[in-house]
Amino acid sequence: MAGKSGRTINATPENVWKKQIFSWEGILVIIFIAVIILCKILSPNYTFTNVLREMPKYLSEIFLLFPMAYILLLGEIDISVGSIVCLSATAGCLVSNAGVPFGGVVIVILLTGTICGAINGAILVKFPELPSMIVTLGTQIVFRGIAEIVLGSGGSVSLSNTDGFRMIAKKAGPFPYVFFLVIISAVIFTVISVKMKFGRSLYAIGSNRQTAFYSGIRVKKVIFTAYTVMGLFAGIAALFLTSALYGANTTTGKGFEMDAIAMAVFGGIATTGGKGRLVGGVISAFIIICLRIGLGQINMNSQLILVIIGILLICAVLLPNITGNMKLKKKAN
Amino acid sequence: MKKKLVSVLMCAAMTAALLSGCGGSKDTPAESQSANEPAAETETKTETESNEEAASGGKTYAMITKAAGNPYNEKEAEGFKEVIEANGGTVIIQHPEAATADAQVSVIQSLISQGVDSICVAANDTNALQAALEEAMDAGIKVSSFDSSTNPASRMTFANQAGTQEIGQALMDAVYDISGGSGQWAIVSATSQATNQNAWIEAMKEIMESDSKYAELELVSVEYGDDVPEKSTTVTQALLTNYPDLKVICAPTTVGIAAAAKVLQDQGSSCKLTGLGLPSEMAAYIGDGDDFSCPYMFLWNPIDVGRLSAYISMALVNGDITGAAGETFTAGDMGSYTIVEAADGGTEVILGPPFKFDPSNIAEWKDIY
Amino acid sequence: MEKKSIWKRMKDSREASLVIVLILLCAAVSIKNPAFLSLNNIEEILKNNAVTMILALGMLCVLLIGGIDISIASTLAFTGMSVGLLFKYGYMSSTLLGFVLAMAIGALCGLIIGLVIGKGKVTPIIATMGFMYIYRGMAYVVGNSQWAGADALGDFKNFALESYLGFGLINNVIMITIICYVIFFIVMKWTKFGRNIYAVGSNPEAAEISGIHVARVKIAVYTIMGLLSGLCGALATTVYASAQPDMQTGKEMDVIAACVIGGVSMSGGKGSVAGALLGALMLAVIAKALPLVGIDSLAQNTVKGVLIVAVIILNVITKRAMDKSNLERREM
Repeated sequence: MAGKSGRTINATPENVWKKQIFSWEGILVIIFIAVIILCKILSPNYTFTNVLREMPKYLSEIFLLFPMAYILLLGEIDISVGSIVCLSATAGCLVSNAGVPFGGVVIVILLTGTICGAINGAILVKFPELPSMIVTLGTQIVFRGIAEIVLGSGGSVSLSNTDGFRMIAKKAGPFPYVFFLVIISAVIFTVISVKMKFGRSLYAIGSNRQTAFYSGIRVKKVIFTAYTVMGLFAGIAALFLTSALYGANTTTGKGFEMDAIAMAVFGGIATTGGKGRLVGGVISAFIIICLRIGLGQINMNSQLILVIIGILLICAVLLPNITGNMKLKKKAN
Repeated sequence: MKKKLVSVLMCAAMTAALLSGCGGSKDTPAESQSANEPAAETETKTETESNEEAASGGKTYAMITKAAGNPYNEKEAEGFKEVIEANGGTVIIQHPEAATADAQVSVIQSLISQGVDSICVAANDTNALQAALEEAMDAGIKVSSFDSSTNPASRMTFANQAGTQEIGQALMDAVYDISGGSGQWAIVSATSQATNQNAWIEAMKEIMESDSKYAELELVSVEYGDDVPEKSTTVTQALLTNYPDLKVICAPTTVGIAAAAKVLQDQGSSCKLTGLGLPSEMAAYIGDGDDFSCPYMFLWNPIDVGRLSAYISMALVNGDITGAAGETFTAGDMGSYTIVEAADGGTEVILGPPFKFDPSNIAEWKDIY
Repeated sequence: MEKKSIWKRMKDSREASLVIVLILLCAAVSIKNPAFLSLNNIEEILKNNAVTMILALGMLCVLLIGGIDISIASTLAFTGMSVGLLFKYGYMSSTLLGFVLAMAIGALCGLIIGLVIGKGKVTPIIATMGFMYIYRGMAYVVGNSQWAGADALGDFKNFALESYLGFGLINNVIMITIICYVIFFIVMKWTKFGRNIYAVGSNPEAAEISGIHVARVKIAVYTIMGLLSGLCGALATTVYASAQPDMQTGKEMDVIAACVIGGVSMSGGKGSVAGALLGALMLAVIAKALPLVGIDSLAQNTVKGVLIVAVIILNVITKRAMDKSNLERREM
C-alpha cells in the first residue's frame, strides 16, 4: 500500500492546494465529475431529479459505509451487516404489523441492529485470536437464519401499516430526507475520525495493535464500540430500506456487506488497517451510486455493471502502485 | 505527483472504453429511443410540460425477469420481444443483478426515470416491490406482472402461466397416479419465499385434504433446495435416507426437479419424480421404466407466457383494458382472453392448462425450450 | 512407554481436538439416524463436498502466504460454464479434454490474479473482490442465458458416476480428491516449494532476504488456486450434471471457514493439509447431518452458523488450555 501517498495522518503538506488536488480524494472528485459527465452523455434521462429519485435505495447502503470504514481502519472486517439489515427489517415489519406505533418500530429496528453488532463485538473481544472474517461469517449465517425461521414458510412479510415508513421516505424539494441524514452522518463520522480521540485510536490500533495497547488505548473497548455502531447503522439502513420495500424477506440486504467494503476500498481505505480517510469513502460511494444509476438507465446488462465496478476497484489500487513503482525506478536510475 | 494524473487518465480512459464497448451490445436496445420518450417522465408535477408530446411516437415496453442467466426467463423475454416488436413498440428487457427484490427495485426505479410506458415484472417477492411499483403507476406507467405475481396493490393485472388450482390439481393427480394411490411423498421446492411455489404447494395441500381419494397419500416433508443444484441434491438425498419408503417426489421448480432427477436416476431409486421442469434440462431423465427417474412432468410454454404478457402490456397502454375483472382483449393469434378475479384479491389472465411432457413428446420439445 | 508418548503427541497436536470433535459429531448424528454411517451416505458426503475439500487445499496455500482469495467461486462458475457450453454446442466430447481445458482456464484466471497481487502489490482481498465480480460477470456473458443441462453434457456427466480411476472401488470424484490431497501432502511437507510457502507466510521480509522470490511464490500460489478452481468447475459440472452461471455462489466463504476451522491461520504461516481436510470434513458432515437428524429445513442455516461459531470458539479454548498445560509442564 506504499503507493497511496498523501494519506498518512501526520504528513505536513508543503503546498496545501497541490496536495489537495493530487491526493487520492482529489482524484476521486475528478473521477466523480467524469462519471457524471459520462452518464449525462450516455443517458438523456440522467437528470438531477431522476438521479435523486433513484438514490434512496442506494443511500441506505451508505449508512453501512461509515462504520465499515471504522472497522476496516481497525484492520478488521464485518461481513455480517447484510444479514443484520435483514434481521432488523424483519423485526421491524413484524412489530409494526403487531400494531406497535411507528416510534416503537424504529426503536425495535435500531435495537435489533445494535444487539447484533454488540454480539459480533463481544465475541471478537472475548476471543481476540479469532479472525473477524470468520466470526462475522458465522454470525452472517446465524442472523439471516433467524430471520428465515421467524419469517417461516413464505419467507416474506409485508407491512400492513405503511404510514410511518411513507413519512420517512418523503422529500424536501427534490432531496429525499435520507439524503440529509447521510450527509449529517458523513460529517459526524469524519469529524470523529479526524478530530476525536476515538478516531485517532482507530488509526493507532489499525497500524499496530500492540503499540496502541501499550500506549494506553483501550483496544477492546474501541473494537466493541466500532462493531456495536456498525450494528446500529445496519439498523438505520434497514429502516430506510424497509421504507423503499414496504416489507422484508429472506434476501433483504444480501450482498450489502460487499458493496460497503467496495465503497470504502475504492475510497482508499486499506483493508489492512490504519490507512485511509472517510471522505474518500463517501466520495467513492457517490461515484459508484451515480455510475450504477447511469448505467442502469441505458439498460446495460446488470452483470456487466458489476464487471465494471470490479475493474474500477482493482484499477483504483493497481494504477497508483504501478505508476509509483515506475517513479521509484526512475529515481533509482 | 505526475503518477496520480496518469492514473486518473488511465482510469477515465478504461471506463470510457468499457462503456463504449458495452453500450452497443444487444442488451441495450432502447437507449436511443428513450430520448424522445415523453409520457409522464418522472414526478408529474415538475414536468407537466412534456405531457403534450405523449400522444405521438412508438411506445416503450419494459420487462423485468427474476434473474439473469436463466434459459426459462430468456424464453419468456423472447416471446415478449417478438410480439412487441411485431407491433412497432420498443422493448427493454432487464435482468436484475441478483434474484432478489432489492435488485428489482433498482431496475424499476431506473425504468421510471427512462419514462417507459409499461412495466411487467416477474416478482422475486410478493410484497417488496410495492413502493417502487406504486411510484411507477403514479408516474403513469402501466404495471402488470407475469410468471410470479406481485401483491394486488402493486399491479393492474397478472399474466398467470396456468391457474394455481389447475397446476395443483395436475401435480396432485400425477403424484396419485405415479404412487399408485397410496404411500409417502415429499416436495422439493425452490426458496421459502418464492410466491408461485408457495401458492402451488398450498393448492396441492388443499386438494389433498379436500378429497378422500388422496387419503392414503402422506406428505412427509417440504424441503427447500433454494434453487441451487448443490442444496437441492443434498435435500433429495436426505429425503431418500430419512424415508426409505418414499414413493414420489414432487418438485415444482426447474432447478430442483433437475437435481432431484439426477439423484434418483443415479441411485436407481424406486422413488419416482414429477413436477415442473424445462424439457431441455429434463430430457435425459424422462422415460418409461426403471432406468429413468421421471415418468412425466408439466410446464407451460414460457414463450407464450412472454407473448401473453406483451399483449396485456399493449392493451393496458392503449387503454383497451384497465385490469378490472370481466374485461376482454385479443392477444393476436393466441385468441381472446378474459381478465378474471385472482385468489389473492387482484385480477389475472390465465394462459391455459399446464402442458404434460412424457416420453412420447419430450424429444420434440427438448430443442425448443 | 511407547503408548504414552503417542498419546502425548496426540494431545499436543492441534488436529487431535478436531478429530475428537468430528468423531463426537458423527457419533451423535448416527445415534439419531443410523443411516448416517452407511457406506452409501459416506460416499455421498465425499462426493457432494469434493469441491469444498479440493478448494480448501488451494485456500490453505493462499492463507499460508498471508493472502485470501474470495474469487474462487466465480472462477469455478466461469470455467464450469465455459466447459459445459463447449459440450453443449458439440465443440468437444472428450471428458479428459474437458478437465484439462477447465484447469487451463482456471489457471489462467488465477495467474492474472497472482500477477495483480504479486507484481501490482494490490491487497489480496481487494484484488480478489474485484475479480469475484469480473469472473462471475464473465460466466454470465459466456452463458448468454443458457444452461448446460444433463442432456447437453453427454458422456461428461457419467464421469461422476463411474469409478475407473478408483479401480472400480472408489468413485472417480472421490479418487480425484484423494489424489489432490496426496500431492499436496507431499508438496507441502517435503518439497522446497512447500517450505517456501510457509517461509513467505511466516515472514515475507526474511524470506525475501534469504533468497526466495516472494512475488513468484505468490503468483504460483494464486495460479494453483485458480487451477484447482478450474478443476472444481469441471467437477461441479459433472457431479450435478448442470452448469449455470450462478453455480456455487458463496462457496468461497465455506472454503475459508473450512480452513479456519482446520486451524489454518488467516495471518499466514500456520496450517496443515490435515487441518484443511478436517475442517472441510467438519463442514461436510454438518451440511449432510442437519437434514438427516430432522432439523426443520427453515432452521438449518441457523444451526449451521451456530455450529461454525461454536467449533471455532471451542478450538480457541482448547488451544488456550493446551498452551497453559505446556507452560505448566515447562515450569515443572
